Amino acid sequence: MTLLAIIIILFAGGLLAWLAERYFQAGGRWISLISLLFTTVLLTNYSSFITSTEAITDNTWWDSLKIPWIPRFGIDFYLAIDGLSFLMLSLTIAMGIFGLIMTWNDIQFRRGFFYFNYLWTLAGVAGVFTAIDLFLFFFFWEVMLIPMLFLIAVWGYERRIYAAIKFFIFTQASSLLMLIAIVGLAYIHYINSGQLTFNYNILLEAQVPSDIAYWLMLGFFIAFIVKLPALPFHTWLPDAHTQAPTAGSILLAAILLKTGAYGLLRFNLPLFPESSILFAPVAMTIGALSVIYGAMLAFAQNDMKRLVAYSSVSHMGFVLLGLYALDTIAIQGAVMQMIAHGLSTAALFALVGALQHRLHTRDMQQLGGVWSKLPKLSAVALFFAVASLGLPGLGNFVAEFTVLVGSFRSNHWLTALAAIGLIGAALYALIMMQRVFFGKLNKRLEKPIQESNTADLNVRETGALLVVAALLVLIGLHPQPIFNISDKTVQMSVNKIESALSFQKFPPKISPLQVHSSRVEPTSIEDNTP
Amino acid sequence: MSAQELLAILPLLIISAGIVILLLQVSFWRGHRGALATTILTLLLAIISCFWVTGNLLGDVSSIQVTALLLVDHTSLFFCLLLFLTAVAISIMGFNYLRLRCDPRGVSASYPEEFYILLLLAMLGASTLIFANHFATFFLGLELISLALYPMLGFAVTGEISPKSEQLQSLESAIKYLILSALSTALGLFGIALIYSASGSLDFNAIASRMTELSQSSTLFATGITLLLISVAFKLSLVPFHIWTPDVYQGAPTPTTALIATVGKGAVIGFLLRFFNTLDLFGSEVLIDMLAIAAIASMLVGNLLALMQANIKRLLAYSSISHIGYLIVAFLIGKSTFGTEAVIYYLVAYIVTTLGGFAVVGLVADANEENMLSGKHPQEFLIDAKNPYHREFYRGLLWRSPWLASCFAAMLLSLAGIPLTIGFIGKFYVFTAGVEGQMWILLGGVVVGSALGLFYYLRLLLIMVQRNETAETNSNGTLVIATSGQFLIATLTGALLLFGIFPQILINWINAL
Repeated sequence: MTLLAIIIILFAGGLLAWLAERYFQAGGRWISLISLLFTTVLLTNYSSFITSTEAITDNTWWDSLKIPWIPRFGIDFYLAIDGLSFLMLSLTIAMGIFGLIMTWNDIQFRRGFFYFNYLWTLAGVAGVFTAIDLFLFFFFWEVMLIPMLFLIAVWGYERRIYAAIKFFIFTQASSLLMLIAIVGLAYIHYINSGQLTFNYNILLEAQVPSDIAYWLMLGFFIAFIVKLPALPFHTWLPDAHTQAPTAGSILLAAILLKTGAYGLLRFNLPLFPESSILFAPVAMTIGALSVIYGAMLAFAQNDMKRLVAYSSVSHMGFVLLGLYALDTIAIQGAVMQMIAHGLSTAALFALVGALQHRLHTRDMQQLGGVWSKLPKLSAVALFFAVASLGLPGLGNFVAEFTVLVGSFRSNHWLTALAAIGLIGAALYALIMMQRVFFGKLNKRLEKPIQESNTADLNVRETGALLVVAALLVLIGLHPQPIFNISDKTVQMSVNKIESALSFQKFPPKISPLQVHSSRVEPTSIEDNTP
Repeated sequence: MSAQELLAILPLLIISAGIVILLLQVSFWRGHRGALATTILTLLLAIISCFWVTGNLLGDVSSIQVTALLLVDHTSLFFCLLLFLTAVAISIMGFNYLRLRCDPRGVSASYPEEFYILLLLAMLGASTLIFANHFATFFLGLELISLALYPMLGFAVTGEISPKSEQLQSLESAIKYLILSALSTALGLFGIALIYSASGSLDFNAIASRMTELSQSSTLFATGITLLLISVAFKLSLVPFHIWTPDVYQGAPTPTTALIATVGKGAVIGFLLRFFNTLDLFGSEVLIDMLAIAAIASMLVGNLLALMQANIKRLLAYSSISHIGYLIVAFLIGKSTFGTEAVIYYLVAYIVTTLGGFAVVGLVADANEENMLSGKHPQEFLIDAKNPYHREFYRGLLWRSPWLASCFAAMLLSLAGIPLTIGFIGKFYVFTAGVEGQMWILLGGVVVGSALGLFYYLRLLLIMVQRNETAETNSNGTLVIATSGQFLIATLTGALLLFGIFPQILINWINAL
């Protein structure tokens, strides 16, 4: 019931926020904050599971809720939560609150409708992370798009319509391929077993002929890497990020991109293990190329938001690389990267938004030497910039390092290629710091700074940013709890892959992956912290 | 003809009686509201009689043959029910349309009552077509719809108060439809003649009993069926027989446009289902291929051409072309309960959303017209933002009339096939049907078509949510829509959301009937 309550609170909060804005000027944001805090309280229900992960229960799911929905197609309203879902759900709620607080005063018009869309996006994403019926998953996958579309199209910057439509068509068209794959999978299962169902747990056991499985896998894969976004399908991201309002960028970067990665780990790998093994080299190549390509393009940008957006492409390339290394450590690293990237990029977007709010530009040619005027903001920006480039001691480093260590065993060359991306990350992050914050104050800035009384970060913003910074340090220094929480889901995927592998190589000698199936040793990661 | 047979065609009899009563009523006592009341009463009685007949069909009697001409069964009764409900909605739309454009006292010889007589005639034709089990009734039904539609398309001409441009466009649309429809009817009639000469019968059952020899040997029969299909494709506006659609839709009074887009197509789909099932034409590869090509072409051409449209009625016209294309995909999977269910579900989704779309467009235009007639603002059709059928008129509608715009947004999202709406479940049915029939090329067409479709639906949607750049919020401020219209739109939106979120309800109804 808790899961349903979380989703309902978010949906209802959105409606209330819209209606309340007619009567109270600032009613919408308070209602949003209260409903988000309320969901946080509900999430703490699961705290007992975090601490007792060692106690092995037969049930994979911590909690589940199943209500028949469309019996004609065997579709249930089936929500469930496990370690991975819990991490993603926490990230969703946390970044929801963060985005809300960071843009507390930014929205000047149509506030009620803004918070309606904001909460509905969060509700859709919460549904995506907990839906275990494939139809329901698709349902939420689409539901989260519409409010996001409005966020970009109404409160965005200059070319918002173009960006919004591009974002929507990319994701929607690719998700139709996923719909065909979902229906195909359910249908093949129906032919084989006579049971029409979209239940994930049952479909995991579906016997799909390998050539068809490959096509179905591709259907899912394309939908997910468009969202991720990976190389050939990334073009919507810079536009959407750049044109979206700050809160929208935070949602996009911190949460929506993660749905793609989540889908790959939750659905692609366990549902189609054989095809995933076949496809892994291609996917890893796409991942490694995204890392390099994203870094290169980020380096070439003048627009700060575009720079951060392309850095997302680069970072999410690591996720793709790690997931398709099909290795426990690498997948753990990918999960860590999802969280660390969510935190650091959300903060960077919030900072760019704050900067634009104060100086009315995010063009790096117009900026320069901001540090002297906005010392607090610049210092915080420095922290997140080095977090983004992977400074040891922070979450991103742990994530990228783990991905690279895990992937190296699967594919030396691609991993080496991706590692070059780290240099690129250092380049673009430091260049951004140099051009925006260091040096002499840009002459073009003097007038706006004098005219409008430009204030540094206030207590609200500083507080929110420092909490995120503290979280990054925490998971940088002590990542083990997160590895523990997600361990079971990752193990499940890896076990599926391994059984598929050992099935392929019939003299059942020890497959190279089985060596690492043991738990990640805490020391191996903590040794690297300074 | 036994009493049981007479009772089985009770819906037809009620509609016929309604027409006669309305004719008499109008000749003695003219009155707009009175005509509307009689029409709605007739339709409601017909709806109740549908339920009653369905109740009689329970048990081992699954269908009743009424002479050689008509066959009443569950599917056809469901279609009738659906179309009668549609007609109720259209009569409400018509009332709001005519209220402004026809002189209530009849001084200038512009009477609104004929509209309702013609509407009931079209409904009689539609239900005859659905029950048809013989080419004579098929032709009768089809022509009855068409003949009633010609004057309805040109109805704006009789309203002296309607703007001149509206009258001219209405006339144009009526004449275009008349000529092209006559051509297609001629082709269809020739097809029927060929089928008759090949099979020696006009009765579907009799033809079906000779199908095995006919389908193998007779080119005459194949030609006949093809010609008949062309005539049907014209009514469905499948590409390449779609040329008339945008012009006719644009020029006609909006209630008539809604009628032609929903009842006109729904009845033909109902006939097509029965015809293909009785004759078992799903086995004929050539026919299936022809329909598949037409479906793909409709999806692509309809969506591509809709991209260019700034006029909302034209946009909806092209979008209806592509939606019939999607529907044909579900139709093609053939003689199975699932295929029929998918077709019916998609048709319900299509009718609800199309009706809703046209209702919003029509009522918005009516509200604008009312403002103009009362002299609030001058008539400026040259400016896009003042033309109620132009996209620009809807800029910022969400902020001016939030509820109306929310309903319209729901319709658009349903047309685009986004979850929470009935359109999504309809599209899901199409996908499931496509996967079951393993028609990958058609499914590819659906995906491409949907992606293209998203663009123009979204553009319209985003125009509605745009903050107005211009400060003149007062000039075309809140649109006040008549109460009956509000009720209609709210009902349609409610149905759209209800069947979108809980589709099982509608699925149960489809399967129960």
